[in-house]
Amino acid sequence: MRKNLVFSLVLLAVVAISFGVTTGQSAASSLGMVAAANPYAAEVGAQILEMGGNAVDAAIAVSFALGVVEPYASGLGGEGYAVITMSNGEKYAVDFKSVAPGLATYDKLTEDGYRISTANYTPKGTCVPGVVAGIQKIYDLGATLPLETLMEPAIKLAREGFVVNETFAQTLSDGYEKLLGNGFDFLNEGLAWEEGQVHKNEALAQTLESLAKNGLDDFYTGELADRIDAFMQENEGYLRKSDLENYRALAMEPLHGTYRGYDVIVPHAPVSGPQLLAILNVLEHFNLSAMGWDDPLAVHIIQQVLVLEDVDRRSFISDPAFYDLPTEGFASKEYAKTRFMKIDLTQAIDPDTYFDHVGNPYPFEEGATYEQVMLQEVAQQSLVQEDLYESPSTTHFSVVDRYGNAVAWTQTLSSFWGTSVYMDGFFFNNEMGNYASSYRDWDIINLTPGMKPRTTICPTIIQKDGEVRWVLGTPGGGRIISTITQLIVDLVDFGMPLDQAVKAPKFVGYSSYKDLRMEAGFPEDTVAFLQDVLGHDVNMYGYPDLFFGGPNIIAVEEDGMIIGAGSIRRNGAASAPEK
Amino acid sequence: MKKTIFAFLFLTLLAFSVGFSAEGLHFDAPLFITSGGQSPGALQMMVLAKAVKLEYVFEKILPAAEFDPSSFKSAMIVVGASGKGLGAAGIDVDQETERVLGIATLCQENGIPLILVQLEGAARRGPSSDIILDALAPFASALFVKADANEDAKFTTLGEEYEIPLVLFEKTTDMRDLLKDYFF
Repeated sequence: MRKNLVFSLVLLAVVAISFGVTTGQSAASSLGMVAAANPYAAEVGAQILEMGGNAVDAAIAVSFALGVVEPYASGLGGEGYAVITMSNGEKYAVDFKSVAPGLATYDKLTEDGYRISTANYTPKGTCVPGVVAGIQKIYDLGATLPLETLMEPAIKLAREGFVVNETFAQTLSDGYEKLLGNGFDFLNEGLAWEEGQVHKNEALAQTLESLAKNGLDDFYTGELADRIDAFMQENEGYLRKSDLENYRALAMEPLHGTYRGYDVIVPHAPVSGPQLLAILNVLEHFNLSAMGWDDPLAVHIIQQVLVLEDVDRRSFISDPAFYDLPTEGFASKEYAKTRFMKIDLTQAIDPDTYFDHVGNPYPFEEGATYEQVMLQEVAQQSLVQEDLYESPSTTHFSVVDRYGNAVAWTQTLSSFWGTSVYMDGFFFNNEMGNYASSYRDWDIINLTPGMKPRTTICPTIIQKDGEVRWVLGTPGGGRIISTITQLIVDLVDFGMPLDQAVKAPKFVGYSSYKDLRMEAGFPEDTVAFLQDVLGHDVNMYGYPDLFFGGPNIIAVEEDGMIIGAGSIRRNGAASAPEK
Repeated sequence: MKKTIFAFLFLTLLAFSVGFSAEGLHFDAPLFITSGGQSPGALQMMVLAKAVKLEYVFEKILPAAEFDPSSFKSAMIVVGASGKGLGAAGIDVDQETERVLGIATLCQENGIPLILVQLEGAARRGPSSDIILDALAPFASALFVKADANEDAKFTTLGEEYEIPLVLFEKTTDMRDLLKDYFF
């Protein structure tokens, strides 16, 4: 084990020396920065910056590389979202979320003898992958280097191999039974890849090479699309070439909010951008900086706000192409006042009543004030809590270049390994698990062909006076927004240095959890106060625990120094060019 | 002289890398394989047995009451506790321990040698795994253990205490050779 760790470090050092990049759990540089969930991927991005590429170039290279070194968390068969701010002031939200295939309906599932839950780890569980289209869209928006150059590092990693780390080995061990059934060819002659072994994926190298040669559109309209179609038909999946041909990644202006004088730039629905703005709007009413990060009152306030806005998320976030959603109202300062009024500083909301507290942001769409709205009658909608298992899967990376361009990019297969169905070197996502388990006429996440599933990812860029200050994001399923919120509060309200903000123990406010789940590291008195005075049911986890996500984030200091911090919960790293 | 020393060192290293081969140890098929802790190790053992064309039956969570010792010439329990695996099976570590103890007892009563295997190494050592291991050790005819799982000499101590041959190996793939050595 020690031998393999040494080998791994030597290998990384050799690569670093050859390309003049600096890599560690955290790093500082004025020349640019990449923070990602895997040191290999972070270094790939830094190498691209070193070669003269910009943040967009580096981000594309990192996206491909992560699909090789973290095949369980993202890849060609996945989806995602990116938020980009350019130094010329242009801003983009690029939506490359998956969509339900044309054949994917509840009736079809029933006819085939399935439910969403049983289809989840079969080819039927796959939605139309968006990563490749997203990369193309992002490339067209702002890349400067040839696409082949950006794909070359990933091809090399796949062909020459990389050392399996603890996260890879553990995640594979957890998913081994599914992989044995669906992804046998990925395994090490049928056995699990172990930490310290060198993993190569020649099939993926060839697929990536083919895409580099034929163009990324080959995934959607060319030979690769034909192979995907044939594979899915042979294996009774619903994805067809027509779904691929119809798929489009979307680029638009991001959603914008403010928090204590900072500009917060986030994605749109169906991911959690509006929810994050709603949370920050409520938190702005509390003088958090007068408390400490471990003050039980601060924990209580943040957790309660997280719960309330998660309850709202279930009613007000979905695919805007299919539902008329009150996004402006939901993310408005006036709506936030009604939610602020719900926070009881003396007692936690009874978890059995969480769903009685859904709000109503619709009246705020046209700019109504909270006084006007609250003086009217508000109809309450009943919600049934959907107890979806949300794994700590997904991956996020952040990139800033020396010119001031920034990219926050989150991509995923949904669960680790997705469906675990494997073809041509990559895994297919299982995003179908993010639709309602069965049709409900009041629900806004019913499985509908062409509709995007709602997920909780939220790549975020925070600016001050037009300059990038922080680039944030994290994996972690239902814990994503809790972790991002705490990062923002720790950085803005408590003035934590970046590394400390990443390492600070986290907690979760999520309407599916009746308990208050916390990472160890809070003072005993804080925990006791939360339990005994405020009535929380505290459930303590170890530290660090992957359950709470894995943020890979970047700060740009006022003097221009760029600090990167990789996730300590998932072997993340920050890497910077040296010239 | 130098050549002799080098040859001795080489053979010693070879012995350490593959493990101490227990003299005269041999097992017959059909082999019954089950998990002791519901980690993926038992599934991997099934893959290995299949690869060397060993006659086996694999049951991840067979209740002891359904185990028919008359169908087997040897049995193997791959020890490794997984919270996920136990949760998916709807049992806790105490129930799992009781299950595999039942199987081990039946093996002992029917003269079927029981091999305890630790396949996943140090990453699969922990208090829950040790509970199962300690319960099963008195019933074992052999211990096949990935070397890095024995850094605390746990298995060495068990082997000495219960006079069980201990076979260490470096890589999971080495088990293929061990199965060939001890079953064919």
